[in-house]
Amino acid sequence: MQSVSKTISHRVIKDAIRIRRVEEKFLELFSAGKLNGTVHTCVGQEFSAVAFAGQLKKKDFIFSNHRCHGHYIAFTGDIRGLLAELLGKASGVSGGIGSSQHLCNKNFYSNGIQGGIVPVAAGYALGNKLRGEDAIGIVFIGDGTLGEGALYETMNIISKWEIPLLIVCENNLYAQSTPQHINLAGDIGSRASAFGIKTFEGDTWDPELLINNAQGAIDYVRSSVKPGFFLVNSYRLNAHSKGDDDRDKEEVEIYRNKDFLNVFSKESSDYYNRYLEVINKEIDDLVDEILLEDELPLENYYKPEAVVSNNSWVGLEPVNKRQVELLNKFFRDKIVSDDRAVFLGEDILSPYGGAFKVTKELSVLRPERVFSTPISEAAITGISNGLALNGFKPLGEIMFGDFMTLAFDQIVNHASKFHHMFNKKINCPVVIRTPMGGRRGYGPTHSQTLDKFLVGIDNVKTVALNTFFDPTIIYESIFNEEHPVLVIENKTDYGKRILSHKYSHFVYERNEDAYPVVRVKPAVSTPTITIVAYGGQADEMLSMLEAIFLETNLKPELIVPSLISQLPVDIIAESTMNTGRLLVIEEGSGYAGIGSELLASVAERAEGAIKMKRISAYPVPIPAVKSLEHAVLPGKNRIIKEIKEIFC
Amino acid sequence: MALLQDITVPLLAVNDTTLTVVDVAFPNGQPVKKGEIILVFETSKTTYEVVAESDGFVQYLCEAGRDYEVNQVVAKIFSSASEVIKEPVTAKQEYTPHVQDGKKNTVNDWAGETLFSLEAIDLIESLHIDKSVFKGRDFVSRQDVEELKGINGTSNNKLPVQPVSQQPKKTAIPVDNSKVIIERISSNKKREIEFLSHVQSIGLTSTIDVYVNTDGIFVHLNRSLKYFKNSLLPVIIYETARLLQKYPALNGYFTGDGIAYYKSVNVGFAVDIDKGLKVLKIGGAAEKGLTEIEENIMGVSSRYLDDTLQIDDLTDITFTITDLSSEGVAFFRPLVNMMNSGILGVSSIDEKLQRCTLSCTFDHRVTEGKLVAAFLRELANRLESYRATNHNYPTKDILCYKCSKSLQDDLGDVGFVKSITPDGKDGYICQSCLKGF
Ligand SMILES: Cc1ncc(C[n+]2csc(CCOP(=O)(O)OP(=O)(O)O)c2C)c(N)n1
Repeated sequence: MQSVSKTISHRVIKDAIRIRRVEEKFLELFSAGKLNGTVHTCVGQEFSAVAFAGQLKKKDFIFSNHRCHGHYIAFTGDIRGLLAELLGKASGVSGGIGSSQHLCNKNFYSNGIQGGIVPVAAGYALGNKLRGEDAIGIVFIGDGTLGEGALYETMNIISKWEIPLLIVCENNLYAQSTPQHINLAGDIGSRASAFGIKTFEGDTWDPELLINNAQGAIDYVRSSVKPGFFLVNSYRLNAHSKGDDDRDKEEVEIYRNKDFLNVFSKESSDYYNRYLEVINKEIDDLVDEILLEDELPLENYYKPEAVVSNNSWVGLEPVNKRQVELLNKFFRDKIVSDDRAVFLGEDILSPYGGAFKVTKELSVLRPERVFSTPISEAAITGISNGLALNGFKPLGEIMFGDFMTLAFDQIVNHASKFHHMFNKKINCPVVIRTPMGGRRGYGPTHSQTLDKFLVGIDNVKTVALNTFFDPTIIYESIFNEEHPVLVIENKTDYGKRILSHKYSHFVYERNEDAYPVVRVKPAVSTPTITIVAYGGQADEMLSMLEAIFLETNLKPELIVPSLISQLPVDIIAESTMNTGRLLVIEEGSGYAGIGSELLASVAERAEGAIKMKRISAYPVPIPAVKSLEHAVLPGKNRIIKEIKEIFC
Repeated sequence: MALLQDITVPLLAVNDTTLTVVDVAFPNGQPVKKGEIILVFETSKTTYEVVAESDGFVQYLCEAGRDYEVNQVVAKIFSSASEVIKEPVTAKQEYTPHVQDGKKNTVNDWAGETLFSLEAIDLIESLHIDKSVFKGRDFVSRQDVEELKGINGTSNNKLPVQPVSQQPKKTAIPVDNSKVIIERISSNKKREIEFLSHVQSIGLTSTIDVYVNTDGIFVHLNRSLKYFKNSLLPVIIYETARLLQKYPALNGYFTGDGIAYYKSVNVGFAVDIDKGLKVLKIGGAAEKGLTEIEENIMGVSSRYLDDTLQIDDLTDITFTITDLSSEGVAFFRPLVNMMNSGILGVSSIDEKLQRCTLSCTFDHRVTEGKLVAAFLRELANRLESYRATNHNYPTKDILCYKCSKSLQDDLGDVGFVKSITPDGKDGYICQSCLKGF
């Protein structure tokens, strides 16, 4: 048995014992059936937590992963909040909603998605840097997470943009059940150095050295305002979570004997036992007290809300400006006037100004707020999320809507969930903009309308711009949002002028909702068919209304929602009950689409028999060749033919 | 000069909301005499002739072979020939107007140019209408033109409520004549489909089954039955009719926004013997005794076989019973008729298990499973109460297969045990032989 250092401060040892005892308590409570779900303990790795989390400043921040209890205790000292959280009590750090992997307190955040927290942490750190604060951040990952792409996107960016973030990789040689030799190629440290990130190393068997090196790394990141990468070699003595351990018993035993606290308990059993007694009492008293507490009632977590649309209507007038000019003008104003605004995206710097020129000259007006990113959609979105958590209003641009899939994890598992899983302690007012739509011949991977995948994400608003009114009305509302918003712009709409064709036989109006609903109806006649379209398809419909009447005898009322994640079902149902016919047209493919959602909601609410129909793109990738592209997307001839067949 | 008679489509059977005109007896404008047959309707069950109530001149507003809705005027008789306008009325529109049609469709305060739909222009031209009559309108559709000319009576601008099944559905299932042989379904079958789909197509029906123990049920019952020995139908009609007074929800129907409860109980029973499926009525069944019900069944069945059914035999049925007990079925799911909320199915008696299944399909919009289960259970209990509980076996004929002692001669008062003999037959064994002394 090797001997442990005698010079190390006993405060550090006590901190480590405390972490271990709290986690052992969790396992005990788990076996007693008092703990729901799962826990991942860091028994054996505690000194990593103490070395890093314990040496940060209050203004610094931590993003951690599933194995976060140690980091949390070392950084916040809040054992009570953690115990209560895992026991599912309302007084827990996340009100019992998050439990083990989802903690949020005093600049400490954790999330159970491997790798996804790295760009978020980068964004948070970027926020600190933009404010000129010398606060830094640490993000903890395991060695298994070296397999995640978002990590490398972020390493590239933090190095390039000099973001003060220290990545601490806790290398315990396993990813869940998989030994490192099965899933890791090459060398860990070289990964970071390849990106030009300074690397550090240490291990938990020599805590004193680890603490020193950690301090060195923290100081480096803070003073140089550059990222660092710290490899902590360690070993977890317990199972991955509860009982799932297939490792070789002898191997575990070797590490058990080598473990600093175990050696210390034998070599200095007097001290160890004295510390243990005090810590055990502290924990037991807390648990006894917490077990009597209440859980969060559902109504504090979720209350259903009915859709009630605004019912005062204002007339619409043409604006002789192209949509893209209006958007650009608005963003120019904002970047100067709103200190929260940050723009990120591929190729958005001037003179190029983004693939569709929406961000033109922003980087001239305020260069430090415009980030032209590498081709890294996950990181763009994740960094935007981090900025948003840190009080900014980031507007991430995804160059083509098709690429939203690469940003999906950040939207669904991060932006969407933060507010609720941390029991509403924080908001993530991120904005992700992207153009969708075909009719430009860009072909299968640059033309699709994927909006149906972006609605129905909890707590995320999805808005589709249209050409009926000035889109800055929508963006003003977005700037007031406290939660994530996805904005679907449309490639062909960018170049169009607002309400350029106003036909005298129709009345054009919008309501006064934050995300206005447009209504186009016959000037005096009672409409006999309700048509709903949004985004780029709405503009297509505008020029079709007369033709629809001429050929089908039906007098159309067109309703154009802009908030497509919460359709104005009340308005549409009312119109439908008057006309008896409801047609929804979407540019995406139809199955399980927005049209389906709309028809279902209208059917739930409307009375009387109603004839309904969805028209959408055919379920194939959008062809590049013009004739086929137009055939696949819902065009005039098909729409009129279908109306005749279904409604006449 | 006067209108002498309006001939409307009569409501002949609860199930028939539309009737087919099968014969138009005269050309338009022809003089007719009182008592002459003017036109003939075909219902789902029979034909119905309408005669002139007085001498006059007939104007048809219908064509043979097409369907018209109940209460629609299909012919008029005028006192003079000059009153007859030779304009046909269209058959029942594909869509009836939407109930919630509050606003009037005709608005005349448009100062701009009027936009005519292509069909509107065609119609205007073919009817030689002056376009300027539409001045003040923003849009004029074909329906607007028709409305102006009173062609459809109502504007078809509004909602398609419920297409008539007779109209060829646009989404017919494709047919490959090289692979199948098509036989057109009869108009009777079409009607059957229509009025069964009325309740069923909503998909809100379910069926509950119960068993009735029939062991010994006919011992007494057959003594009360004159014609239908060994049939449960009369007693089921008798008991059901009484129970329906206690369960009014099953003696009604869903109106779309409410529930209609019938004031009387007219039980219908389905028959299908060579003459097509019909539901025959036992009117006021709750007030009739078992004998009277049996007489009624007999009477209406003979009229069915003789083709002398009256409209009254077929109409205003408030609850239906369908008896497939002679078909050897174990159980089945009957389908609720239009303007009913329930139907009772009677399956065959399983001779081995001495039981039969009663199945009740019901309209969930009117009632619910719990209530129907109670109804069925109560019905089953009532039926089972007819069972000869102390089935009187002639004790002298029951012999122990082992010692051939008869039950009458047995001294112990425990009786014999039903058993299977070593050669596999049903038999009895006495306690002594079974257990030994
Ligand atoms: C994106 C994602 N994929 C998979 C998982 C499931 N999972 C949870 S922990 C884990 C192993 C992580 O290994 P490592 O990063 O080495 O951390 P350690 O558990 O060793 O601390 C896995 C696969 C996850 N939480 N997130």
